[in-house]
Amino acid sequence: MSVPPIDEAQLEVLLARAGLPHSPAQVKAILPGAEIVQRLLARVNAPLPREAEPALTFDVEQQ
Amino acid sequence: MSAIPTIAEAARQIAAKKLSPIELAKAQLARIKKLDPQLNAFLLVTEERALADAKAAEARQMAGALRGPLDGIPIAHKDIYNTAGIRTTAHSKLLEDNVPTRDAHTVKKWADAGTVMLGKLSTHEFAFGGPSFDLPWPPARNPWNREHFTAGSSSGTGAAVAAGLILGGTGSDTGGSIRGPAALCGIAGIKPTYGLSSRAGILPLAFSLDHAGPMAWTAEDCALLLQGMAGHDPEDPASVDRPVADFTAGIGKGVKGLRVGVVRHFFETDHRASDATRAGIDSAMDFFRKEGAEVRDITLSPAAEYHAVGYLLMINEAFTLHAPWMRERFGDYGELFRDRVALAATFSGADIVQATRRRRLLCREMAAAMENLDIIVSASQPGEAPRIADVAKWANMEKPSFTMPCNVTGFPAISICTGFGEGGLPVSMQLAGKPFTEPTLFRAAHAYESAMPWRKKRPAMVS
Repeated sequence: MSVPPIDEAQLEVLLARAGLPHSPAQVKAILPGAEIVQRLLARVNAPLPREAEPALTFDVEQQ
Repeated sequence: MSAIPTIAEAARQIAAKKLSPIELAKAQLARIKKLDPQLNAFLLVTEERALADAKAAEARQMAGALRGPLDGIPIAHKDIYNTAGIRTTAHSKLLEDNVPTRDAHTVKKWADAGTVMLGKLSTHEFAFGGPSFDLPWPPARNPWNREHFTAGSSSGTGAAVAAGLILGGTGSDTGGSIRGPAALCGIAGIKPTYGLSSRAGILPLAFSLDHAGPMAWTAEDCALLLQGMAGHDPEDPASVDRPVADFTAGIGKGVKGLRVGVVRHFFETDHRASDATRAGIDSAMDFFRKEGAEVRDITLSPAAEYHAVGYLLMINEAFTLHAPWMRERFGDYGELFRDRVALAATFSGADIVQATRRRRLLCREMAAAMENLDIIVSASQPGEAPRIADVAKWANMEKPSFTMPCNVTGFPAISICTGFGEGGLPVSMQLAGKPFTEPTLFRAAHAYESAMPWRKKRPAMVS
């Protein structure tokens, strides 16, 4: 699944919405990381089968 | 006995009254004074406490009342482990003056076992932001070459063990923070099964991925240290209430009959490791085969799948914990921690649910792959330690991690040294097992370490 690219203006809005103080220089500094996160998001948002329900994330008794 | 004993050796000597815990502690403190100014492994040396602990251990030794193999053993704690009355900073300006009133559960367990606490060890800020040069203390340096990275976040523990400043220490592992420094510093480090050792009293990074575990020169020493850490603790909601195994039960039994799966695509195609790393794993698998193990390649989902799930959950959980401080004291964090965790602002609740659903599939996949196996093998790190000045802010996000799969699944995994690369720094491999099969990991790791010369070589600065 493709995830749309992110730019400085979008990142600025998202940081503000999260309540994180930031300067324009900080937005620039975080942007390369946000671009990597977009790639990670594309991976986790690929279609999933119905059995991929989130309960029982760990099954530690499994031997 | 070698100049720097292993824990197993020191324990035997102490039990036989051939080694004084006080003399051992003094030797370690002298080595710290001599070498640590070059390594920055310690944030705080607790000399007075160490000598008091050693004196008590020696009194028990003389009275024939030793508490076990950890009695009189010099250790130190990563500075995210709470220590009562002793500053615990997480290597951050935010906790510069933080003095806890209680020991972490595992700190108390080691103290009760008679260990001698030498101090608090460097970490990446809040176990995530590093290597950083804008914090109140500098980052730890790799004893094999001080210009090179230790990996993190248990960076001080890795450096201190490799340089022989301590015989063992605590680490924590959310995406590889025990196994990474163990790999780059050429020591052993185990991330136990999720729930095996308590995280109560340890500053969290990400609740569902955090693990507490030991680091030491050898796998056998890790087994002894884990024996002193593991066990149910009602104060950690993830702590498992089940009998603790004898982690040294398999030591000396070799690898005959073990079924080993090599996840070759992780380190050959998904994230190609260095020639020395790949050669080290191939050589180790030849040894396993020769000693009677059954070795075959297996296939899992690409390492990038595990990495994406683990990384997104980690920064999301870290942001959940740090958001109040980040909103009020953004500038008091180091740049690396602050900027990495701020990325949680860029994804949604739906993204986290998707990551959690995918996590479930990956847990099932690894459990199914291990159904007819005892151990799965991959790299711990892609190669030798890079120069510390060359470690980029986003380096740990860009390429898939070899360690994250066992944080995502909660399965136990140990990193051990497999030799040295072209630059003369250590390379490593990772052995993972089914939940609660740590004795099997120690068995295999010890068999390999005992047959190879790598445990006989310390960094040049030590001699």
